[in-house]
Amino acid sequence: MAQQSLLLEDHIRKNKRDTVIICMLMVILLFSVFFAVGLILGAPPILTMMIGLPIALFYIFITYSFSIQSVISAAGARPANPQNREEKLLIYKVEEMSLAAGLPTPKVYVQESRDINAFATGHKPQDSIICATTGALQQLNTEELEGVIGHEMSHIRNRDILVMTVTVGVVGAIALIAEIAIRMLFWSGGRSGDRKGGGGIIVVVIAIIFVILAPIFSRLTYLTISRRREYLADADGAYLTRNPEGLAQALEKIKGDIPDDPKGSKTVAPLYISNPFKRALRDSIWSTHPPLDERIRRLRSM
Amino acid sequence: MDLTLIIGLIVIVIVVIILLWFFSYYNRVIRYENRIDNAWAQIDVQLKRRADLIPNLMETVKGYMIHERGTLEAVTKARSAIMTAKTPQESMDADTMLTGALKSLFAVAESYPDLKANQNFLQLQDELTHTEDKISYSRQHFNDSILQFNNLIETFPGNIFANMMGKKTREMLQIPEASKEVPKVSF
Repeated sequence: MAQQSLLLEDHIRKNKRDTVIICMLMVILLFSVFFAVGLILGAPPILTMMIGLPIALFYIFITYSFSIQSVISAAGARPANPQNREEKLLIYKVEEMSLAAGLPTPKVYVQESRDINAFATGHKPQDSIICATTGALQQLNTEELEGVIGHEMSHIRNRDILVMTVTVGVVGAIALIAEIAIRMLFWSGGRSGDRKGGGGIIVVVIAIIFVILAPIFSRLTYLTISRRREYLADADGAYLTRNPEGLAQALEKIKGDIPDDPKGSKTVAPLYISNPFKRALRDSIWSTHPPLDERIRRLRSM
Repeated sequence: MDLTLIIGLIVIVIVVIILLWFFSYYNRVIRYENRIDNAWAQIDVQLKRRADLIPNLMETVKGYMIHERGTLEAVTKARSAIMTAKTPQESMDADTMLTGALKSLFAVAESYPDLKANQNFLQLQDELTHTEDKISYSRQHFNDSILQFNNLIETFPGNIFANMMGKKTREMLQIPEASKEVPKVSF
């Protein structure tokens, strides 16, 4: 047993370290955008930072504040019904996993859908919610359901919802600032010739390209963070249940699942255990979730 | 600059670093200890809840399982053991005894179709199995918390501070082999 938990801990440590590194890159990217915008508009970077930072923080704050309730309404989820045997089992599993994680028990919700899926939401463990689809309750056995709930509980314990919401905010802020900068550049087009000489123009061109590409970079970074957190939640969840095979089997079932019509806005995709929206992009760098085969392989190697 | 001034500054910086280290360490020790105490409190709550369900269960099966005195007595005996246990390990051992006794009772109940149709009995069976799972996970979390605490105070440089604070490693709850055969309920 000690041997097994050491392997899991290594997974967990590695994923956490990767997240920290990537988040630092995001912050550097954000500040680089401020700097580049300053170069383009011929304004000192300090000025663009003083204007850009409050805009970014405000944007992040707005994203943060409105996410939770909108997720629940968008998914059309309702509180679980203890009179229903399957939903009672779900409530039991959520209770058990919260005890294993040492967290207060989240509220339990159910989403009507033939798909097998589940999500967790909530910025603080005290205010969190775990929701599973009716499809999941019908098609997963106890071990598999436990694996899925363990994964969701780990998202809550690792504050993934908070991390991803702030990251989405940063990505949005970068896109917003880049767009403002480009527009301002076109409006003040004639003036760029006034500033520095030949060498300065090259720098400005590079800065423009950078600002155009920055939103794409930041989106790719966001997706990389999202995938890392999924691996982490898999590993942590397996540690909670002491049974990686349960989640592995659930993921196998999800692999063979026939997609239903998913409700809700796309921003909630990372909170699900498997992306319900973009089936075609499932295994690419544009995916919020790692490839199912790789997740299953890692779980079975624990 | 004066050499003694430089040395003095370096010493101050080192002392500040050590103090910060100690403060953060002290806080972690307290937090991990509180987590252990909280984890035990959780187990205790579940144990009591489990013990509280037994009288109701006895009332429900009494009329049906008239000739199964041995099986029923084993359950009540285990329940008393839980109520009178003094140390965490004693409580866990008593709970293991109760799990075994209940396993026998539910196995015997299979041959009483009237009892199996009794809604009250089915509900109690669900509840008891559920609390069994909850105790199992609470115990897991308790042992995880102890592992975390022990790791903190046994590794360098923590062990130096730990000795200063008078902290000793804690014992995990031992799980006897018998309880590992707990039947998994599939709905």
